[in-house]
Formats: sequence, C-alpha cells, structure tokens
Amino acid sequence: MMDTESVAESLPRHYSVLLVGPPGIGKFEWLLTSARTYLHRNERVVFVTLDLHPREVRKRAEAMGIDLGPSDGTHFSFIDCYSSSAQTTSDDPGNPKIWTVNSYSNLEALGMAISRASVSMGLPVRILFYSVSTLFLHNSPQAIAKFLQMVTNRVKTELGFIAYAVQEGVHDPQTLNLLRSLVDGVMEMRFTESMDRQFRTHHLRGMAATPKWETFQVSGGT
Amino acid sequence: MGRARTGLQILDSWLGGGFEKPSTILFFSDHPTERRLFAEQFVTTGLKEGERCLYVDFYRAPALARRDLRKFGPFPEDRLVFVDGTSSQLLIPSSERYIVHSLDTFDEIMDTIEGAVRDAKPERIVIDSMEFLADRFSSEGLFERWRKLSEVTKSTGSVVCYMFLNWLYGQKEVRRMDESNDYTVEFQSKVRTGILEHYMRIRDHRPGKRATNWIPLTFREVVGLSVYFPRILVTGPPDAGKSTVVQKLCQSAMSVDQLGTTVAFDYGNVHVSGLEAEIFGTPGQERFEFIFQIFARQVNGVLLVVDSTREEDLPRAKQILKIVGSDVPLVILANKVDLGGAMGPERIRESLSLAPTVPVVPTVATEGKGLLEGLTLLAEQLVGAR
Repeated sequence: MMDTESVAESLPRHYSVLLVGPPGIGKFEWLLTSARTYLHRNERVVFVTLDLHPREVRKRAEAMGIDLGPSDGTHFSFIDCYSSSAQTTSDDPGNPKIWTVNSYSNLEALGMAISRASVSMGLPVRILFYSVSTLFLHNSPQAIAKFLQMVTNRVKTELGFIAYAVQEGVHDPQTLNLLRSLVDGVMEMRFTESMDRQFRTHHLRGMAATPKWETFQVSGGT
Repeated sequence: MGRARTGLQILDSWLGGGFEKPSTILFFSDHPTERRLFAEQFVTTGLKEGERCLYVDFYRAPALARRDLRKFGPFPEDRLVFVDGTSSQLLIPSSERYIVHSLDTFDEIMDTIEGAVRDAKPERIVIDSMEFLADRFSSEGLFERWRKLSEVTKSTGSVVCYMFLNWLYGQKEVRRMDESNDYTVEFQSKVRTGILEHYMRIRDHRPGKRATNWIPLTFREVVGLSVYFPRILVTGPPDAGKSTVVQKLCQSAMSVDQLGTTVAFDYGNVHVSGLEAEIFGTPGQERFEFIFQIFARQVNGVLLVVDSTREEDLPRAKQILKIVGSDVPLVILANKVDLGGAMGPERIRESLSLAPTVPVVPTVATEGKGLLEGLTLLAEQLVGAR
C-alpha cells in the first residue's frame, strides 16, 4: 500500500505540482493531509478554496482527524472564492485570516489574494489550490492558462510552493496538456476496474520519480 | 473644460489639475495588480467633490462594491450609480436602476451601458472590466462597440476609465487600445524580498505625448492610495539642521510611526495630500560616510541641507553631492535663511555647481518653513518631467 503523504513531504519548498484525477478519488484529502504534513513541520499553508466553504473544508479536515484550528492566522490561511459567489459570508469564528475573492471570473483578485495572503504570513508558503477546474466554468482556457502561468512563476520565484488539484474527465486533452506543461511535476490518481484507488508520480522535475501505479487508501474514509 | 482630480496631489499637478474632461483612460496591466484600488479612489474622489459617478461592475454585486468603496471614507452615496453586471450571473435579484440581465449578447450589454451613460450623464465612469468582456466576445466586435461607447462618454462630458488586464491580446491589439484612448495608466505589482510592491505610471497620448516614471504606491484604509517613496535621504554637512528637517517635516504632516532617532539615522514618516515618504537623516560626521555610501545607492531622492550662513561648509556639501551621484533626484534646502548674513540661493547654486534643474529652496527648519515645498519638488522629480 502506498503512502501518498510521503510524496508531499518530499516536495521542495519552491516548486509547483498538478494533481490530476477523477472526482471522488481523493485529491482533496491529499491536499488536506499535505496541509497537516507541512503544518507539523512548522511551515505556513494557504488553502485556496473554490469549491467549498472554508467551514466545510475545516469540517472535512476534522473528519480526517486534521485540526487546522490552532494554526489559523499565523500558519494557516484560507483564500475563499466560494462564499461571495455562493452569496454567503466567509465568517468563520475559528479563522480570522480569510481572504475573500468576490468572483470566479476575477482572476486578478484571485492572483492578488494569493500574493497578499502569502506575503502577510511570511515566506515561503505552501499553497494548496482546490480546484483549477472550477475556473474553467467562468473564464476562457487562454485566460486561465496565462493566469496559472503567472501565478506559478510568482509562486516559484518568490512565494514558495503550489499544488493545484484538477478534475480529470471534464477538460479536453489539449487543456489538460497545457496545464501539465505549466508545472514542475504531475501526480495522477485513478480508479481501477475493481474501484481500487491508485496513485503515481508521473514526473517531478529535478527529482527521481517512478511513474508506477500503486494502490492507496484515503484516510478518514469518504 | 474641467479636470477630474485623482486626489493624489502630485499626480494632479503632473496632469495639470487632473484628467481632462472629457477623456478616456485605459487602466492597463498584464498581470494581477492593485489597479482596482486606483479606479475606486478615482470614483470616490469624484463623489466627495460632488460629482456623479457610474460604476459598471461584472465582478461584484453592487452591495459588495459599495462596501469596498467605503474603505476610502464616507461619500454621498446617492451620487453613485451602478450598472449591475453581476447579479444576473449569480442568479440573485437586483434593485439597481441599470442591470445587465443577460451576458449572452454582447450588443445588449453594451446597449445597457450606453443607455446608463446617456441617462445618468456621470462625470466619472469606471468599466470593471473590459477583460471580462474580452474573455467572452470577439475582439473585432469588442473594439467596434468600445469605440462607440467612448463617443457616447465624450458626448456626455465624462471621464471614463476602462479597466483592462491583458490575458489574451497580442501587441497589435494593445497598441490599438493605447491609440484609441487619451491616457493609459499602467500598473505593476511585484513581490520583492518578501514585500509586495505596487507601481503605476501615466502615459498621456494626446498631442505633446509624455509619460511619468514608474511611481511607487501604497494603500491605507480611509486614506486611500498614496504615492509612496520608501527612502528619502536627508543629508548635509554637520549642524546644517538635518535632524530638525526630519523632525519638523514629519510633525508638520500629521506624522505617524515616528520612531525618533536611531543610532545611525534620524527617521520619520511623512504623509501629506496623497504623498507618503519614509525620511532618513544621515549624521553629518565623516566617520559615518561608509554607511551613507551603502545607503545612498538605494534612495529614491535626496534633500541636501546646507546652513546658508556658513559658506565654509559648502565644500563639504559638494563632497556629499559627489557621493550621491548625478542620477538621484535632488533638492537643496538652503536652511537658516532667517539668520543674518545668509547666502542667497544663487550663491549656493554656484558654489555647489548645481545643474539648473536642481531646485534650491530657502528654509527655516526650526519653524518648518519651506520643508514641504522642498519635499514636493523632490516628489515631482521622482514622478517625472512636468
């Protein structure tokens, strides 16, 4: 059985990865366990949420035995793109540090929120982005590609590390290839025919990676 | 023909009082920046001066946008009108007078905006943003209707700011946008050694084309944006009054964050009419020269203080100028002009072999006289030729 958490541990502080897999495979859970890994090492984590309310992220982390609470504000921040689009508020008493982005279409505001949140916590940071796919419902692929290229460059040269989750099966192959070309490393998840979960590191620039599929389990169970 | 002030005195003075009415301004960047803050400040400055403003927003529901605008301090809310381009995206009801009901048809969107402009006849307009439209509709159609909208805004006497972040277009289209607007205000944001820095510059495309330098900016709630110079150096021979200059400059300007004297430098923060600067005073003794040499390389500008009654100090002042170099913006403060036997500015200019562009400002530092004028002249040099 593969330990996917050890992959997160090995990823450099200035680096970018894409995590690709079908809905429900465990990408979100991988990001949360990565957050735990980094927080344990006293690193700073920025969680960019487009698909879930910050409260929901926290709840699902708790269900997995991960407490994001004590790290709030100093070592952990949310960038919340979900709330204003869903017409709710970010208010989350456990988390004073929430950076709100008011629209999925406002890529500029999202880019600035990433810079501001990171700089305000102190560099370098680990940025976890869930998920890129949601942006495609609201912007053209070209705009997103340029946006991601800029964010990735800024993160790698100044801010630190970023992991993007992307849904497989909802983008055309060209778009997915484009996304893969923008980052240092690509990790993939899939279901086998018997619905086992498998994971592999497709490639990690500058690191040894064996692109061999291995079975893994999602902790906390979903 | 009036002028639309930006609220930043130093920019307004460069602009001859503000952006010309009517005119079209492109708020351009090619990566995420804080340009929206400048647009919001431009709108709230107009509102506070009693102008009517129209904000076309495709990103924020008007309630949210109003809340963001209030960060610039109170303004007469009834003079602010929205074209609500967001509520229909979020499938929520809107009670605004002008609403984009559907984003399906480009012409309908533009008809709504044009109608609102004709109807409200606002003095200032912000379109937030053109890249939202460029990402959804073809460039040919976009440029055509964009040109028409500018004709309408000119006919109503409005100053219109088109926000445009270039995700998609090549150089050809960007040049076309430059050429079809009166001004371009360009923005940059950089992370440098863990600090987020913001810059802007204005390019005036009208006859007699000219442009400012890249100008650093900072933002504080309620105060809004300020032109920001993080390192202004106050230097000069011993006992010329450098410490007094730093202290008085920072007092006379409702100073915040004053830390007083540190071991090697006087320090103060000055914040006055849209200009904020960190002022560092170097000691005059020669033993500090090495510190000064390190520091001088990174300064935005230099205020050189000389004692107008001590001609014998001028060779030392000239030496300091040599260390400063000729590339750094410079203003001479001819201090202690209230004392008997003070030299005139021309005498000082001659002795220091100053270029004719370097201002010599008579000051009485102990009374704060002439100091803000000196700082403003320095800031004008930093912004660029007038």
